[in-house]
Amino acid sequence: MAKLSNRFWFKLHGLFSLPIWIIFCFVCLTGTISVISHELTWLTNPDSRASNPQQLAEKPKSQLVDIVQKAYPTASISTVMSFESYIANTVIFTDSDKPYAIAYVNQYTGEIQEVIQGLTFKSFMRSLHAWLFFPWQNGYSIGYYLVCFMAFVMLGALVSGLMIYKKFWRSYTQPKLRIHQGKKTFLADLHRLAGVWSMWFLILMSITGLWYLAQAIMWQNDIEIEAHAPVVEVSQLPYGVADTPVRPYSLADAVNIAEQKFPNFKSTYIMLPEHFRDTYKVYGEGDGIFYDQYSYGVTVNPWNGKVESERSPEKMNALQTLSHIANPLHYGNIGGLWTKIIWFIFGALLTGMSITGFLIWGGRTVKAAKDTDNQRSIFSKVPATHLVQQDGK
Amino acid sequence: MARLSNSMWDRYKYKVNGLVLILSCFFLYKNLFPQFPDAWSTKSIGSFEVTPMPYNLDSPYMHDGTYTKDFLLIFSQGEVADIRQAYFNIGAAPLSLTDMQDADAGILHGSQHGQEVHAIAPKVIQADHRAWLTIENWQGKLKTVSWAIPKNLHL
Repeated sequence: MAKLSNRFWFKLHGLFSLPIWIIFCFVCLTGTISVISHELTWLTNPDSRASNPQQLAEKPKSQLVDIVQKAYPTASISTVMSFESYIANTVIFTDSDKPYAIAYVNQYTGEIQEVIQGLTFKSFMRSLHAWLFFPWQNGYSIGYYLVCFMAFVMLGALVSGLMIYKKFWRSYTQPKLRIHQGKKTFLADLHRLAGVWSMWFLILMSITGLWYLAQAIMWQNDIEIEAHAPVVEVSQLPYGVADTPVRPYSLADAVNIAEQKFPNFKSTYIMLPEHFRDTYKVYGEGDGIFYDQYSYGVTVNPWNGKVESERSPEKMNALQTLSHIANPLHYGNIGGLWTKIIWFIFGALLTGMSITGFLIWGGRTVKAAKDTDNQRSIFSKVPATHLVQQDGK
Repeated sequence: MARLSNSMWDRYKYKVNGLVLILSCFFLYKNLFPQFPDAWSTKSIGSFEVTPMPYNLDSPYMHDGTYTKDFLLIFSQGEVADIRQAYFNIGAAPLSLTDMQDADAGILHGSQHGQEVHAIAPKVIQADHRAWLTIENWQGKLKTVSWAIPKNLHL
């Protein structure tokens, strides 16, 4: 096999990242901010904080639902979500004057700290990062594909970068950052150093990005990764009764069933029935640290308390496992705040690499363009007859 | 070797991709201020008064093996809690409740403030098709009402 030259790899390296460098940089930047979007909300909005100076125990989700229902008697509550222990739970509901509202409820004090309508900072950042706000139609968004395509860019840039910088491991043993030898040397050293040290991160982002692409293709082609939660058989609903029946099993019962089923289960995402054949959907996190916060859970029949479907890492097939480990690996919430900080730092490095890469390229091409301009202006001042004589030599 | 051509395109072609991001601003605006098609007429069905509104004017799409079209149904009269089950479908005739209740396609869901439905639809909506709402209450009484489909939703 013919050996490929460094010049070829350089060209390939540039081709992978330069043509779309602004989008690439933007996706890296928005992803980096998304990693700490909850924490930024916590910093900027005191109402989103779950302060607990009296060290109270966390209230069950069913109690938070009751608190919101009491405060907004005409509200219809659909979802309850919890995040890190320092962030208030969110209770999502609709009301006669609120088509979509999110209540920040302190899970320790039970206080409704704020009710917001519309887009939150976290949703804004994650939507911007994941699909650039391009609309969804028939199960796909062009923006989502565009972002997924960055996985190829990253992988290509990584492989070609390593082919250029063949002895890359020197950056681990003898890291080199020359700051007094001009801008060009500094940028090249910085680009190389950041690239080598973020190699694990680049690989992780590329692989999870490729998974997101595979997921998008499956969504568009209506291939289900996870089966829809089953509905209640119509025969199990009361029939021929005078008044609207009350479901015998409550949300508290459903959470209790989930807690009994999985050791160390902590509910993080609860959906209440949206119609009378619907179930309670109680999802949460358990013992598997690499799995997301929806990897364990049950759907509970509100009429007989039966578990209609169950979800846990042990019962997942390969695709389901990938879908539940991708987000923690991509967003770095495997180990809470500390891993988020690590992911944020490496996300910032990656964003910086797209900028230093462009500056290196820009420096070269602008200089080359200036040289060409200078050459042209010199030649324009030389008499044409002289040029002919020169050519004729 | 440096490229000799130094046209505007050569200078800026790598940056042109950034213009895609302007589309993000446009789509964000559309997201924040969505425009929906006109709501259809309000009709009575039993003790309910219902106004359907399609979410868009697109053709039905395939979802879970069924062609589907999304609607919002506003119940201006009647309590949705009085509904045991309700379905919405598009076609020449209403689908039978016996068929629909076997699965969850086309079932109304949501709250008193707005019921949503992924209506069971044909691949192509034709002039003789209507939109059918079938409601069963807790006493087991069945009611059906239909709407003519506006021309802008036909093929």
